[in-house]
Order: sequence, then C-alpha cells, then structure tokens
Amino acid sequence: MKLCTIHSGLAGIVAIAQAVRDGHVSATALIESRLTRIERLNPRLNCFTEILFDRARREAERIDTLVAEGIDPGPLAGVPFGVKDNYDVAGRVTTAGSIINAALPPAGADAVLLQRLTAAGAVLVGTQNMDEYAYGFTTENAHYGATRNPADTGRSAGGSSGGSAAAVAAGLCEGALGTDTNGSIRVPASFCGIFGLKPTFGRLPRTGTFPFVHELDHLGPFARNATDLALIYDILQGHDVGDAACADRRREPVSHLLDTPFTARVALLGGWFEEKADAQGRAAARAVADALGAVAPVVLPGAEAARAAAFTLTAASGGNLHRRALQSRAADFDPATRDRLLAGALLPANIILQAQRVRSLFREQLHEVFRHHDLLIAPATPCAAPLLGQPTIEVNGQALPTRPNIGLLTQPLSFVGVPIAAVPVQGDALPIGVQIVAPPWREDLALRAAALLERRGIATTRMRDSC
Amino acid sequence: MSGPSPLDAAFVGALAQVAGLSIDPDHLAGVSRNLGVLLDQAALFLDPLDPLVEPAPVYRP
Repeated sequence: MKLCTIHSGLAGIVAIAQAVRDGHVSATALIESRLTRIERLNPRLNCFTEILFDRARREAERIDTLVAEGIDPGPLAGVPFGVKDNYDVAGRVTTAGSIINAALPPAGADAVLLQRLTAAGAVLVGTQNMDEYAYGFTTENAHYGATRNPADTGRSAGGSSGGSAAAVAAGLCEGALGTDTNGSIRVPASFCGIFGLKPTFGRLPRTGTFPFVHELDHLGPFARNATDLALIYDILQGHDVGDAACADRRREPVSHLLDTPFTARVALLGGWFEEKADAQGRAAARAVADALGAVAPVVLPGAEAARAAAFTLTAASGGNLHRRALQSRAADFDPATRDRLLAGALLPANIILQAQRVRSLFREQLHEVFRHHDLLIAPATPCAAPLLGQPTIEVNGQALPTRPNIGLLTQPLSFVGVPIAAVPVQGDALPIGVQIVAPPWREDLALRAAALLERRGIATTRMRDSC
Repeated sequence: MSGPSPLDAAFVGALAQVAGLSIDPDHLAGVSRNLGVLLDQAALFLDPLDPLVEPAPVYRP
C-alpha cells in the first residue's frame, strides 16, 4: 500500500493502525501530515474548536516509542481522531458549544470513551464544533461559527455533532466521537456522507461528557466505512459506574462478524418516514431496503406523536438542566437556544407526563414490530444538506422551517433508545443518509447490514480533497 | 406543521412567574414564539391514553 494512501486516510483505520504497528509508518509522521491537513482545510470548514497540537504530538511520540520497544500500542495505533466539544479532555474546559461553560474549571480527566480510544492507541487531534449545548441540527453556532459541509462548503454539515462529521468526511481525522439526543449523530452523518452509529440507550457510558437531555443522550462514533465504525464501537464498549444509566452488560464485539453470512427480516418504514422525506431520501431508503431483501413496508402509526413528544420533552428537559444559567446569564446564550430552553421550562406538567406515556406506547409498538422484523429502514433526514442559513426545507411540496424539522425522521426512533446505524448513499450532487434500525442491544445486526451495503456499493463515502 | 400559535407576552410573563423564572422583556417575544411551537406539537399527543399506560421505563429480564 502506498504511503500516500496511508497519509491521506484512504486506507482505513485497520490498515493505518497495522502500518504503524508494523513500523512501516511512524505515528509522528502520520499525525504531522494530518495536522498539516487540518491547518490547511479547517479555516474554511471550521470543524475544530481547538486543535490539540501538543497533546497529539506527545501521544504520537508515545506510540512510536512503544513500537520501537516491541510493545503493541493497540488496534488503533496512531489513528488520528477527534471528539465533539462536549467530551471532557483533561486540562481543558468542556465548552459544549457555549461561552457560559468557559467559567467552568478544566476537566480533571478525559471522558471515559476518550480514555478507551487512547488506550487502544488512537491519537486525539482536537475538539470539534457543535450546536450550543447540542440543541440544534445545523452546527451554526453563534459563538464558534458555522461548520461547513466538505461536500459543498455553502451547505450545513448537520448537527449537533457537525464538526465531528465534517472532519471525518474531509479526512482531517479517521474517526470521531459525537453525541445523539434526537439525531445529532445520524443527521450530520447524512449531510456529510459518512457512517455513524447511535447505539442502544445505556450501551456506552457517558461519563465525562456534558449532558443535554439525560434520558435521551447517547454517545457514538463516526467513520468513513463500516469496518472502521465497528472497530471503534467494539473498543468503546463496556460498563462504567460513572454513568448510572449505563447497562452493566458484557461487551459484544461486532468486528469479527462483519464478513459472516448475513440474513435478516428487513422492512422499509412507510407512513411518517415516507411522507416526511423528499424523493432523494425515499429512493436511498428504497435502494438500501431492496439490497437487504426487504419485503412489505411497515407503518408505525405512533411516529408523529412520538416525534412531537420527543421534541417537547427535549425542550422541557433542557430548560430544566440550564435553569440556573437561564436566570443568571440569559444574554450569553445563543438567542435561538435561549428562547427554546426558556419556552421548554414553561411547559405544564400535564404535557411532560403525557409525553413520557406516549414514549411507553411507542416503545411497545416498536417492540411488537421487532417480533416480526430484524431491521427497519428509513431515510435519516428529510432532504440532503440545506444551505447554511436556509430558512425552509421543502418536503413533499411543503415548505417547513429548517431548524426544527431536520430531525423529523430521527427523533421518533432515538426517543425509544433503539440502536441505529446511519449509512451514506451518494446522490448526483449530495449524499443522504439512511437509518438501519435494530432491536435493543442488536447493534451487530445494524453494523453487519451496513458492511453488506458497503460491499455491494450501495453505501459509500466520497472523501473530499484527497491526496 | 402549522405555524406557532400567537401567545400574549403578558401571559407568557405570568407563566414564567408561576414557574419561578424571570424573563427579560427583550426575550419575551422569542420565548412566546417558541412556546407556541411547543404547544402546537403537544397538541399532537394529548389525546387521552389508557390509564394503564405506564410512563416509567419497563425493564424486561
């Protein structure tokens, strides 16, 4: 394999790490090439809130020392990665996309998932831009600027983990960690044309990350192919006592299953998930469903109510979480975030309780569907990436306000915590993502389907500006 | 989705008082608009439910 391929990131994480472990490429050289690329492209894309030059170089040197001593640095040896700016990085203030958090003390330790990647040999190159407090789908941050989509820099990278997705799509790092409360991994994966995974609620510990909605927050990885995504996910797994919602469940690695024969009962989601997608999204979901052998479509009649309940509960929970700052530092919020959080804090108890009961009903509805199906397929976003600042998106002939409606297709599903892989389907101009929805704890099914789709050329990533 | 329902700023200010919040008068219009959006959404799921529908998470073995 050409060194150029390794340095460009086209090789994939497994090959890059192997080249470092074998001593064919030094981690230091690899990280320097990636830092150079970041310095060249980030001023235009604005993926990073901070580039951690010193830490990255120090970690790369440590990897090279281990290799020189004959010690295996791990399955991610020298692999450059980033984290959304709501993950703690030791010695650094976790901004969560706000300026209010700047008053907090620096983190005393890395977030647990960051520790796990580092222990596997990965090298953190920086923290990545996001919507303020993760409350948004476009990463147009009033304080840190907008992240631009590498596929078309006039367009949104999606959000709220937009910096992470755009950085992976542009080859500024090989993988990244994001968070997904209502779609914040799946939406930017869709707009940027990469792979993303939102695991089952409770699968990965959130210890050392800044919350948004405790009962809906999930952590998960981005990557440019399904193999890399599964490898990162495998390394992230495992219980941690620091997150009370993390299930005490054994690790269930997936990577070794990706190439094994795979059959599943697959259905395309109709109804809400068809009506709220444009022609490109519907065609992409249909192509994925056909490739996986889907039979008759399935309709979830509670999807609209579940989406509305998730939307409402999110505002109320966020308003509750930020109540103190909303009183003492209201002017320091992005106005759009502040007004939504304050409105959420005013909702009557009846609405909140009803939203929670609607979630129970929808969860039961989905469980019933999973008695007859193993995977459900739906578009990830109503449309491909909109222009930055675009006020409305058009969905099935209807103009809808952009920001509140990008999550129409992701929100009902994360509301009930099921695992979902987002896979990229290329269009004529822009990619769009498709959700592969699995029963609770069956990330393996979603990832195996993602790998199969990649092998068949249905799900592919196009890295921009390669070497 | 319909547009947000118009909400009187004085009404929103009173709601905030009940909730123990004070809202800067300059922010009232934006909060009112967003509360209207939220109430429109809530209207989509406020039909009465079976009284046995349990809001708590249910754990299965």
